[in-house]
Amino acid sequence: MRILSFTFILCLLAAISYGKPEQKKKLKPKRTDNFIRMKGIRLGMDATRPFQSLWTKGDRYGSEFSGDLELWPNLFPVFESGYDVMKIKTNYVNYTGKGSYSRIGIDYNFLEAENRNDKNILFAGFRYGFTLAKQQVDNYEIDSYWGPTIGKYGNQNYFAHWGEILVGIKGEIFHNFFMGWTIRGKAKINVKNMNLPPAYFIPGYGKAKGFNLDFTYSVYYNIPWDFRKSIGAKKTVPIAVKGKPQPAKKPGIKPETKKQSN
Amino acid sequence: MKQFLYLFFILTVVSACKEVFETPPLALLQGTLLNSSTKKTITSKITVLGIGRDSLWEKETSLKEILLPLSVHDTTNYLISFDSQIDTITFFHETIKKYASMETGFYYQYKLRSIKYTQHRIDSILITDSLVTEIWHENIKLYIHPLSTGGN
Repeated sequence: MRILSFTFILCLLAAISYGKPEQKKKLKPKRTDNFIRMKGIRLGMDATRPFQSLWTKGDRYGSEFSGDLELWPNLFPVFESGYDVMKIKTNYVNYTGKGSYSRIGIDYNFLEAENRNDKNILFAGFRYGFTLAKQQVDNYEIDSYWGPTIGKYGNQNYFAHWGEILVGIKGEIFHNFFMGWTIRGKAKINVKNMNLPPAYFIPGYGKAKGFNLDFTYSVYYNIPWDFRKSIGAKKTVPIAVKGKPQPAKKPGIKPETKKQSN
Repeated sequence: MKQFLYLFFILTVVSACKEVFETPPLALLQGTLLNSSTKKTITSKITVLGIGRDSLWEKETSLKEILLPLSVHDTTNYLISFDSQIDTITFFHETIKKYASMETGFYYQYKLRSIKYTQHRIDSILITDSLVTEIWHENIKLYIHPLSTGGN
């Protein structure tokens, strides 16, 4: 009986759907916010970099600054630069790795603006990062029944570069002041191959393993300088037209006009 | 504000329990004790002293397998007592420094070249794997004479 009722329902559904025109595939509506919402350059400081040792093994700290601007609607080219230090001190190793690093990349905003003043963004982007770093092992100890061996490794300089994909948000908390977080997946492209010890720490990247996950939280200030307006103003400098009088530069001074003699 | 305090609390807890560093790995030479007549494993009461050291490595321990640390130099000398019969073993080896990680540190691996030994209790020694690594595995077979009364 139950099978019969199921069959009936299925037949009914098939009959209803038969002959119905196939629904058109929903097309994503075009964005209506194709305008520059953030004028000027936004400068930022990463608030998490000085406190990285809270979640990283070893004593890691540093500072990072960034700059971005909305060059095209919803596209933000970004430059980030910083300094990163890693120190590890155990009973067996005393290590220091440090260096400055930079990243360049671009963010794309997915969040449609509600109005022209809405500057909040939800973005995804990518970065290319590179660093010139150095590391040294001030001392190490290899313990054994036959007695400990003590040694050290002097300064080693190395270059490393990597790629990042990231997602995050930036919200305007006060006029021109922003806060936001970013989650970054980092993949190592290359690091200089050294004999012993190999590069352990890459500034701006983390441990010199294949993949790193990172979290940043930054504060930003948008310098309210509309560079487009300045450039635009320069472009629209009045040009003298033959036969027509030039407008007076100073108020009160009338442009000279030739009087026609009768 | 409450969320910020909560995040701060989590970070404090995480930071309080993170600084645990492992000790560096240790490469030990592993030898299996075998009855020279039957070629079967044998248990012996073993005492081991490194020549030049003050402390014993093993003290009257009943073992089927023996683990020995090698020295950083190219030769390592041991006095080994098998059920109160003492033999001297000299291992000739190459020492290779290895890097585990900056969190754990450095350690040595060894490559056995040859072995010299006295033959009071030892019949012969066979090198089965010359590479002594931090993953302990059989490197030598120690064929020892069975005890005349009882034993294995």
